[in-house]
Amino acid sequence: MKQFKNLYVLSAILFSMVLISCESDDPVMENDEEVITDVTLRFTELDNSGATVGDPFEFLASDPQGIELGTPTIETVNLTKGKTYKLEILLYNSIADEDITEEVQEESDEHQFYFLGSAFVGSPILTYSYNDLNGEALGLVGEVIVAENPSFNNANMRIVLRHDLDKNFPGADNPNFENFVSAGGETDLDITFPLVVN
Amino acid sequence: MKLSTFSIILFLVGAFSAYGQKCDLSIRGKILHQENNDPIVGAYIWIVESATGAVSNENGNFEVKNLCAGTYTLTIQYLGHKEIRDSILLNSNNFNKTYRLEEESMDLGGVEIHGHRFDVQTTTSVSALYGEALLEARGENLGESLKRISGVTTFSTGNSISKPVIHGMHSNRIMILNNGIRLEGQQWGAEHAPEIDPFVADEITVIKGAETVRYGPEAMGGVILVNPAPLPTKKDPKTNLYLTGGTNGRMGNISISHANGSNKIKGLGYQVQASAKRAGNIKSPDYYQGNTGLSELNFSGSIGYSSSKLGIEGYYSYFNTTLGILRDSHTGNLDDLTSIIENGRPFSDPGFTYDIVNPKQVVSHHLGKIKSHYHLSDTWKLNFQYGFQANNRQEFDKRRGDLNERASLDLQLFTNTVDLFLDHNLKNEWSGSFGLNAIQQANSNIPGTGVTPLIPNYDMLNLGIYAIEKYSKGPLELEGGLRFDTRSVSTARYVGSELQEADLSYNNFSAFIGGLYQINPKITFNSNLGTAWRPPNVNELFSEGLHHGAAAVEIGDADLNSENSVKWVNALEYDGGRTHLEVTAYANHISDYIYLNPTGDTYVSLRGTFNVYEYLQANAFFYGLDFSGSYVFTERLSAYAKGSIIRAKNTDEGNYFPFIPSDRMDWGLAYQFGSLSNSKTNKLTLSNLLVAKQKREPDFDLAPAPPAYAIFNIAYQKQIALGEDKLNLGVQVQNLFNSSYKEYMNRFRYFTDDMGRNILLKINYQF
Repeated sequence: MKQFKNLYVLSAILFSMVLISCESDDPVMENDEEVITDVTLRFTELDNSGATVGDPFEFLASDPQGIELGTPTIETVNLTKGKTYKLEILLYNSIADEDITEEVQEESDEHQFYFLGSAFVGSPILTYSYNDLNGEALGLVGEVIVAENPSFNNANMRIVLRHDLDKNFPGADNPNFENFVSAGGETDLDITFPLVVN
Repeated sequence: MKLSTFSIILFLVGAFSAYGQKCDLSIRGKILHQENNDPIVGAYIWIVESATGAVSNENGNFEVKNLCAGTYTLTIQYLGHKEIRDSILLNSNNFNKTYRLEEESMDLGGVEIHGHRFDVQTTTSVSALYGEALLEARGENLGESLKRISGVTTFSTGNSISKPVIHGMHSNRIMILNNGIRLEGQQWGAEHAPEIDPFVADEITVIKGAETVRYGPEAMGGVILVNPAPLPTKKDPKTNLYLTGGTNGRMGNISISHANGSNKIKGLGYQVQASAKRAGNIKSPDYYQGNTGLSELNFSGSIGYSSSKLGIEGYYSYFNTTLGILRDSHTGNLDDLTSIIENGRPFSDPGFTYDIVNPKQVVSHHLGKIKSHYHLSDTWKLNFQYGFQANNRQEFDKRRGDLNERASLDLQLFTNTVDLFLDHNLKNEWSGSFGLNAIQQANSNIPGTGVTPLIPNYDMLNLGIYAIEKYSKGPLELEGGLRFDTRSVSTARYVGSELQEADLSYNNFSAFIGGLYQINPKITFNSNLGTAWRPPNVNELFSEGLHHGAAAVEIGDADLNSENSVKWVNALEYDGGRTHLEVTAYANHISDYIYLNPTGDTYVSLRGTFNVYEYLQANAFFYGLDFSGSYVFTERLSAYAKGSIIRAKNTDEGNYFPFIPSDRMDWGLAYQFGSLSNSKTNKLTLSNLLVAKQKREPDFDLAPAPPAYAIFNIAYQKQIALGEDKLNLGVQVQNLFNSSYKEYMNRFRYFTDDMGRNILLKINYQF
C-alpha cells in the first residue's frame, strides 16, 4: 500500500488544518432498568374470616439475563384443594437491583395483571379476584380460591402484565379477560406457571 | 422533466456555390460554459466568409450546412460572454469542435437562466423536482416529495417517517447531499427519516446511477441532491412565504425565506430561511391513528461572496423534529404482534389530538459548511469544501415511572467531511476533476438510557481519491472515472460487564464509464455502467437487541464483507413537440448483499416470545424500468403517465427480498383554464395512482402483502400576479374517495390502514 502513503500524508495535513476532529466517548456499562428478571408468586392461606393462616410460601419465575440470553426457569405452583389464598405478586430487576413492584403500584392506572390459562377456564380449578389497595383492578394483591373437587389436578396458570391499557375498556376489569389485547397497550410479562393441586 | 425549450436552427443564405466545388460540407460543434460545463442554448454562431450562421440548441449543439471546402472565420457570441473567434480549415465533413464561453464580468447579473440545468453534470440518468412540480410538493417531507419522480418510491414507517427508495434501494445504499454535504445521520434504521427540511431546496435532483466515484461509498442505488437556490450577487431582495394547511392531521406548515445581495460589495449575497410544522393524529378512513403527530422546526442561512477568480460560501442548517410513533405499533411480544396483525387495525382509537407521547423520536441535526473555489487559470479551478454535522437521535419508549422521561436510545453522531478537488476544462473537448475526500465520524451512546445500547460507540475514517474525465464532442459525451477508498472503523461496547472492542478496515476501488449521445434533436440516449461498494454498517455488524415494532431480536455479524455492485443504467429521452417520453432501464448486480433474515428461532423470556433475525449476505440481482411521459392534446388539455417496475431477487436462494416496491403507475389529465395568451398557471389536474400487489414476497413475512389499490387525487394550481409580486395558490385533495388501503412499503401496514382523505391548501407569496 506504498502508493497510498502520499494520500495519507496529504490527508493528515488536511485534517490538522481544518478538522475539529471528534472522538467517540468511551462506552459506559448500561444496566437494563426496564427488565423484570424475577417474578415471585407469594401465597398465604386465608381462613374463613379472611385472616392469614401460617407462613407465606413462594414460587419463582426468573430470567437473570433478560430477554436476549438464556431461557427462564419457572417453578411449579403447588396449592391445596378447597383452600383460599392471598396472592401477592412481587417483581424485581436483579440486573439493576430494583424493586419493580413499587413502580407498578405507583402506576396502577396504567398496569393490570390478567390470570389466564387452563386453571381459570371451564369449571375452573382457580377462581381469582383482585384485592388491591383502594379497590383498584391491578393484580399485585388478590385472592385465589382453589376448587374443592376439581376435575383434574394439573393445569397452567398464565399470568400476563399489561402496560398502558385502557382500563375502562368493556370487560377489562375481569381478571380472566382473554381478549385483553383489545384494551390496547403492550405486554410487560407473559409467564405460564405449571400448577398442581393436591 | 426537462423544460421543452425548442431548438431553432437558423439557416441564413442558402445558395452559395463557387468554383464548381462540392459545397455540402458542414461545421458542427458544441458550446459549453467555461464555468460549469453547462450547454449554452441560443449562442450565435456566424461564419464570416459564407455569411451563414446558426444558433446553438438546448444541448449546446450547432451545425452550419452547405459550406465549401476552404478556410473560414467563425465567431461565437452570447450575451455577457467573451466572443470567440476561430479560424477553421474545412476540408472534410467530420469537422466537429467544442467551444467554451467565458463570462465577461460578474456585474451582468451573475447567474443567468439558460433553460433548465441540472445541479449535476453527469452522463447518468438524472431527474429533478423544481419549479411548479416542487411548488405542488411543498409541505410534504423529503421522501413524499420525491415520490413525484418516476423510479423513486418510499420506505415508510407510518405517514410521517419516509425514506426515499431509488430503484429498490434505500437507507445506506443511497446518498443524500444537503447542499453538497453528504447527510450523515443514523440512516441504517428503517424508521429513521432523513434529517432534512425540503424547504431549503430550490431544486431536488435524483441521480439514478451508481455514483460512488463522484460521491464516495454507499452511493449504490443513486444519489439525491437537495440544493438551495444560488446566492444573489447584487442587491435584489426576494422573499418567499409558504403557507400550507392540511385537513388530515390538521397539519399546518409555514416557511419563509429571504435572499438579498449587496451593492456596496459586488458579489456578496446571503439567504436565510426558516420553517415550522405541526400536525396531530393522522386519520385513516375509519379511525384515528393514536400518537401520530409531529412537530418540526428548522432554519438555515448562507452567505457568500464571488468574484471572477474567487468564490466563498458559508452555510448552516438546523433541523429538529419530534415524531409520534403509532402507539399500537409498539408491541410487547410476538403474541401482541400477532393479535394486532389479525385485527388489521389498531385496538385503540383515541380520536384527534396534537399531543405527542411515548413512543416518540426526538431528532436534531446541525450542518455547517464552508465552500470555496479559486480559478487558478482559465481552465483550472480549485475547490475546497468542509462540512461539520452533529446528529442527535433520541427514541423514547413507553416505560415505567421515571424511565418514561428517559430516552431508551440516545445517539450522538459527529461527522467531518473534507473535499478538495481540481476541476479543469481543457480546450476544448476535455473536462473533469481530480479530488481527495475525507470523512471522519464519531458515534457515541449517551449514557443513562437504562437500556443496553443497540449499536456500539465507534470511530470511522474514510479516505478517498478519485479522477473523473469527460470528453464532449458535438452530440456525443463520454465520461469515465476511477476511485479508491480506504475505511477504518473501531468500535467499543460492553457486553455484560466485558468491554468488547473491534477494529475493522475496508478497501475498495470503484469505477464507471458512461456516455450520452444525442441521436437527433429530439432523441437523446445515455448509458452508464458503474461499480459501487458499501462497507457493512455498524448495526449490521453488531446489533443485538429488541426491536419493539417487529417483536424481534436482531443479531449482527462482525464478519460481514463489503457489498459490491455493478449497475448499468440506460435512458432514452424523446422530446417531440406534443410528446415527451423518458424511459430508464437498469440492472444492478450486488454481491454480498446484506439482508435481515428470520432464523425461524424464537427467544423465550418472562416478557413472552420473540422472533430472531440475523444479518446474512447473498448475491442479489435488481432490475427494472421507469417511465414518464406526457402528451399535449390541445393547448388546454394534456395528459401524463409515469411508473416503475422493479424486480429484486436473491440469486443464491432463488427467493425474494422483503420491502421491494410493487409495480406502480401514476397517470392524470391536466386542463389549463384562461386565455391562451396567458402564460400563468391556472390548471386543474386529475390523477390516479395504481399500485399492484407485491406478488414477489419473501419466504417469511409477519403478514402477507396487502392487496392492490387505486387512489384518486385532484389538484388545482393558480398563479396570480400582484404587480411585481407573485401569488401561487394550490388546492389539493389526496385520496379523494377516502379509500382504505395499505401500502406494502409502509412498515405500519401490519398495524393500520394508510392515511384517508386529505385536503390541502397551499399558498406561496413571492415578493
